[in-house]
Amino acid sequence: MSSDTALRAEALGKRFGLRARWALRDCSFRLPAGRVCAVVGPNGAGKSTLLALAAGLTAPTEGSVSVLGTTPSAARPRVGFVAQDKPLYPQLTVAETLRMGADLNPGHWDAAGAERVVRGGGLDPRARVRSLSGGQRSRVALALALGKRPELLLLDEPMADLDPLARHELMGTLMAQAAQYGTTIVMSSHVVAELEDSCDHLLLVGDGRIRLAGEIDDLLAAHLRVSGAADSAGLGGHTVVESRVTGRQVSALIRPAGPLPGDWRSATPSLEELVLAHLRNPGAPALTPAETEEHAA
Amino acid sequence: MTAAPSAPARATTAPRQIRWLLRLHRPALCAWAVLVVGLAATLLWLWGPLTDAAATGWHQYHTRCWSAAPCRYDQDAILRYKDLHQYTTVAVLAVPFLAAAWAGAALTGRELETGTARLSWTQTVSPVRWLATRLTVPALLVTAGTGLLALLHHVVWSAGYHRIDSVKPWDDVPTFYTGGPIVVGLALAGLVLGALIGLLLGRSLLALCASALAVVPLWIAVHTALPHLWPVATSVSGRRAFPSYSGIKVEEGVVTASGAHRPASTCTIDLSPGCRALNDRRGATGFYTDYHPYSHYWPLQLATTGALLALAALLAGFALWLVRRRTTGTRPGGKAAPGAGTGTGAVAHAGTGAAV
Repeated sequence: MSSDTALRAEALGKRFGLRARWALRDCSFRLPAGRVCAVVGPNGAGKSTLLALAAGLTAPTEGSVSVLGTTPSAARPRVGFVAQDKPLYPQLTVAETLRMGADLNPGHWDAAGAERVVRGGGLDPRARVRSLSGGQRSRVALALALGKRPELLLLDEPMADLDPLARHELMGTLMAQAAQYGTTIVMSSHVVAELEDSCDHLLLVGDGRIRLAGEIDDLLAAHLRVSGAADSAGLGGHTVVESRVTGRQVSALIRPAGPLPGDWRSATPSLEELVLAHLRNPGAPALTPAETEEHAA
Repeated sequence: MTAAPSAPARATTAPRQIRWLLRLHRPALCAWAVLVVGLAATLLWLWGPLTDAAATGWHQYHTRCWSAAPCRYDQDAILRYKDLHQYTTVAVLAVPFLAAAWAGAALTGRELETGTARLSWTQTVSPVRWLATRLTVPALLVTAGTGLLALLHHVVWSAGYHRIDSVKPWDDVPTFYTGGPIVVGLALAGLVLGALIGLLLGRSLLALCASALAVVPLWIAVHTALPHLWPVATSVSGRRAFPSYSGIKVEEGVVTASGAHRPASTCTIDLSPGCRALNDRRGATGFYTDYHPYSHYWPLQLATTGALLALAALLAGFALWLVRRRTTGTRPGGKAAPGAGTGTGAVAHAGTGAAV
């Protein structure tokens, strides 16, 4: 059992129905354990499908995904999951929902931790889930997932319904959990800014494919934002992700293959620039883990 | 980096799952309890005081009302018995529809629609166990409740038959279906059918309607197959008489000179000269009727119930297979089970090297 890999996908693909479009295709990546990984991509890119596959909620059409060194169904007791629409039983109270979590996860339930998350939002434990607001439901759903004290936590748009204060507080709770227990956290979002400070690993999903995968620092180091005069020496030999001409000025995001000609000015891109450049240019070659490993070597 | 902790204690969650299933469906549980207790009480009342009162009423009617003079008999008791008997019969016959509709809508359809099924599947409960609990516990409750009602209905029928003129013979369709294990089989098959439809449709309102409607063809199929599930008795007569029988008629026809039975739909007695001529042309030497007498009551009930239980088991197996296939895929072993090959192992090392 390779306990140093939280998530590994090999040629993973998922299609809903025989004639439907592929929701996810040919995805290969590896996420080391203990990371906080951001799954970023536009709406409908396949983020939720990827997380559902990892959680053992749906079966891949092709390829395979392994979770904590085993199959998603065998890893079920060790994985926490919060779906995008935060489903909860509306007829239960908050306290009952947590008691159900304790009963259905025997032997590894952190009652105090789950209650702390709920109490942080000032929720009345006797309130019915039906009466809660979207943000409050998110909080209960997170408490249920955290109470399981999982080794891998899969969160689909966990912060979408939360106000900035609650977002900050819950992100702090998640990071504390990751630091204290070495929990691997995978969270999807289409807001890059909210993940930049807390995540150290990135999976960029676009159009059902993995566009970028790896440590955020490595990915940033592999790219350069360059600008120069339009008549200066070309960028041939380097991988150009995006290039734009403004007047006599060319600015581009590239993956340098070697030293640049002297008349180009270069800077390290921000994560947002990197993500947006890749999303705007679906034709740009993907940078996937195997390539990252080679790069590191 | 933390080493993987020891596998969590695999304590059995079955009793806890059942407790939460009952909690989640408490309104349905209460409604079922009220329905069963209410109907059982009504049937007990019918069985005791109302049967006696109605029998007395009919006795008065038969002994006093043969002359043209006005007579007095307890008509209220007769009507009260008849009405209540009808209501309880309809209620028991509705149970398979109720079970199917509820299972389709609340048990599986709504859980898939709102995503709470996924919530359960990401606790330490596998989807197959989730569905197995959702089929077993309601099946037990439906069996217990419907079984009690069918038993009481049969007892009421036995007590009233031949004493109360409005009580139908055993082969009357509603009487037959409410008075034995067959209605339990129908309720169970309906329950599993509903749960399966809920799984397939994934929408509660649609599954509610489809499940209830699906019981109709099921019932028609059962009714059509029923006479053929147990060997028939045959009554034979000569040309001048007709075969006597009682109970459920299955087939009738003519007996030829060779003794063979040829089914016929017309002229199964020599009623008219035309029929006589036809039967002469057929070479008929007599007539026969295949039928189920009252002694076949229990064999028919049990054989049909057995067929329904087999169908329910088949549908349940299919539903479990479906859930398993949807969540884990069908490919056995092989590619689905990821192993750390040599190439991937090298990548893993490079990864940890970079991480530390």
